[in-house]
Amino acid sequence: MNQETPILEVRDLSVAFGPLVAVDRMSFSAQRGHITSVIGPNGAGKSTLFNLVSGALRPGSGAVLFDGADITRERPDRLVRRGLSRSFQITNLFAELPVVENLRLAAQVLESPWKALLPTSASKRTRDRVEELVERFKLEEKRDERAGFLSHGEQRRLEIAVALAGRPRLLLLDEPTQGMSHGDTLDTAELIRQVAQEASIILIEHDIDLVMNLSDNVVVMHQGRKLAEGPPQEVRGNPVVQAAYFGTQVHAEN
Amino acid sequence: MLESTPLVQSTPLVQPAKLGRVAAYEWSHRSAQVFIAAALVFTGVAVFVGDTFFLRLATEALIYAGLAMSVDLLLGVTGMLSLGQALFFGLGSYASTLVLKHVTPSFWVAMAVALAVGTVAGAIGAVLSIRARGVYFALITFGMAQVVSKVVYNTRSIGGSDGIIGIPVIKVNLLLFEVDTASPAGFFLLVLALVMLLYFGLAYLLRTPAGRVLVAVRTNEARVPFLGYQIRNARFLAFVVAADLAAFAGALYPMLRGFVSPELMYFNVSGDAVVTVVIGGLGTLIGPIYGSVVITALKSIIGTYTDHYPIVIGALFMLAVIAFPNGLMGAVDTLRARRKGGSP
Ligand SMILES: Nc1ncnc2c1ncn2[C@@H]1O[C@H](COP(=O)(O)OP(=O)(O)OP(=O)(O)O)[C@@H](O)[C@H]1O
Ligand SMILES: [Mg+2]
Repeated sequence: MNQETPILEVRDLSVAFGPLVAVDRMSFSAQRGHITSVIGPNGAGKSTLFNLVSGALRPGSGAVLFDGADITRERPDRLVRRGLSRSFQITNLFAELPVVENLRLAAQVLESPWKALLPTSASKRTRDRVEELVERFKLEEKRDERAGFLSHGEQRRLEIAVALAGRPRLLLLDEPTQGMSHGDTLDTAELIRQVAQEASIILIEHDIDLVMNLSDNVVVMHQGRKLAEGPPQEVRGNPVVQAAYFGTQVHAEN
Repeated sequence: MLESTPLVQSTPLVQPAKLGRVAAYEWSHRSAQVFIAAALVFTGVAVFVGDTFFLRLATEALIYAGLAMSVDLLLGVTGMLSLGQALFFGLGSYASTLVLKHVTPSFWVAMAVALAVGTVAGAIGAVLSIRARGVYFALITFGMAQVVSKVVYNTRSIGGSDGIIGIPVIKVNLLLFEVDTASPAGFFLLVLALVMLLYFGLAYLLRTPAGRVLVAVRTNEARVPFLGYQIRNARFLAFVVAADLAAFAGALYPMLRGFVSPELMYFNVSGDAVVTVVIGGLGTLIGPIYGSVVITALKSIIGTYTDHYPIVIGALFMLAVIAFPNGLMGAVDTLRARRKGGSP
C-alpha cells in the first residue's frame, strides 16, 4: 500500500438509534503510524463511532476504508483478521479465565488454521506473544489469576494487551485509562506510546493532558458530529471547541 | 457512559460453574483414573460373584454417560442448553440397529454408520438451531427431537411405536481377541474403554485452539468476534461434535439391550442427560460420567419401589443443586482444597 493512504478513512458515516442520530455524517482520517485521538463530551458518539468502524454496529450510511479497502459492514472477526482490533470502554474480558488464557485466545489468531486442532502447546508463536505481553503489560504476578480477580487498573491493562495480542495494524482504544488513578494513567500513557511503535492507534480519551501529550492529531466530536480536527495545540486553541467542550465539560468530568 | 454492543449476550439457563470452580480446561485427569480403577474393581467383584444384572446396569450407565458428555460439551463448555440431545442418541441407536440387523453384524460398520448419521443430522440440526440463543435454542432442540421421534413413532417400516427387537448378538473384533456383546463383563469393559476414549478425546479437544474458543464463547460470547473468531463456527463445531458423541453412545444401546424404540428420543432421555451433567459438574467432562452412574443407580433402586421415579429424581436434583451448586466434581474439589488447608 501507498504510504500516503490513511490507515483509516471514515466518510460521511451516520447511524441513528430511533430519533437519536448518534453519529452524524462523520468524516475523518487517521494516518499510518499516528496516534489519533477522538475526544468529546459524554454521549458525543465516540464509542458508537468505534462500534461502526469495528463492525459491532452497521452504519445507516457512509463508508469506512481501512488501508484503502472498503470495510463498511464487514464482520468484526474478519476485521480482526485483516488487522483492525479494538478495546472496550467497559472492560470486556473472559473473567473466569486466567490472564494468560485471555491473552492466548487473542494471540492464537496469529497461528495458521491447521494448528486449530493441535494442542495449544504446539503453537509457539502464540506462546511467545503471550509471554511478551505478560511482561510488557506488567502482569507477571497475575498471569495465572482469573481476569475477574484483577484490580481495575490491571484489568484495563489486560484489556489493551488482549486487543493488541493479534498484532493489529490499527488499534482502537476506547478510554483505556477510564477509572484509573493518576499514576496508573501516566503508566498507561507510556504503554500506549510503546504500542504506537507497532500499530497505528485511534484513542478515545477524556484525560485532556494525556491527549495533548500523546496525539499526533485530534478529532473533536459533539452531538454525533465532528466539531474540529487538527494537531493538539491547534484544537485546544479553537474557540468553538472551547465553548462546546473544554469550557464546560472538562471540569465536570473529573 | 453507555456502551453499545449489539451482539446479544448469551445467558445460559443454568449458569455454568462460576469463579469458585475450575474452568472447563483445568480439571485434572485424577477423577478419570479413579473412575477407571473403580470400574475395574467392580468388574472383578461382579465376575467373582457371578453377577450379570449389575454389569448390565453399569454398562447402561456408561452409555448414558456418553450422552451426558455430549450435553456437557454443549452446555458446560460452550454454554448451549440442548433439550433434545436424545434425538442424536436415538438416531445413533436406530442406525446401529438397522446395520446390525439388515446389513452386516459388524460392530465397526455399525459404529461408523452411526457416526456418519450423527454428523449429517448434527449439521442439519446445527443449521436449524445455532442462530438462536438461550431459551430459543433450547426450544428448537426440544422441538427437533419431538418432531423426529414422532416421525419414527409413525414409520411402520422401522417398527413404528414398537421399535425394533431381535437385534443379533455380535462379536466385536478387536484384532487380538473378540468381545461378545452378550458377555456382561466383556461388553462392559468394551463400553468402558470407548466412553473413556470419548472423555480423553474431548479433553484433548479442549486443549486445542479450537476448543479454547468454545470455552471463550461460554464465558464471554460478546468479546469473541473481536478476537477474530466467528461465533457461528464455534457453535456449529460444538453442535456437530456433540451430535456425534450422542450418536456414538446411542449406537451401543441396542447391543446392550437388544432393542430400540422411539422412546429413546423422548424428552425424558434428553432431560435426564441435562440433570446428569448438572449433578456431575458442568464443564468437567468427567462429572457427567459419575453423574450418570448416580442417576442410573437411583433410577434402578427407586424403580423397584415405585413407577414415579421422576418425582424422586426431580426432588434430588433440586437438593443437589442447592447443596452442591458445582456438582459432584465441585464438591470433590472443595473437599480436597479443605483437606489441603487452602481455600477452594
Ligand atoms: N445501542 C444503543 N442504543 C440506543 N442508544 C445508544 C446506543 N449506543 C449509544 N447510544 C446513545 O448514543 C449516544 C452516543 O453514545 P456513545 O456511547 O457513542 O457516547 P460516547 O461519546 O462514547 O460517550 P462517553 O464519553 O460517555 O463514553 C448516547 O446518547 C447514547 O445513549
Ligand atoms: Mg464511550
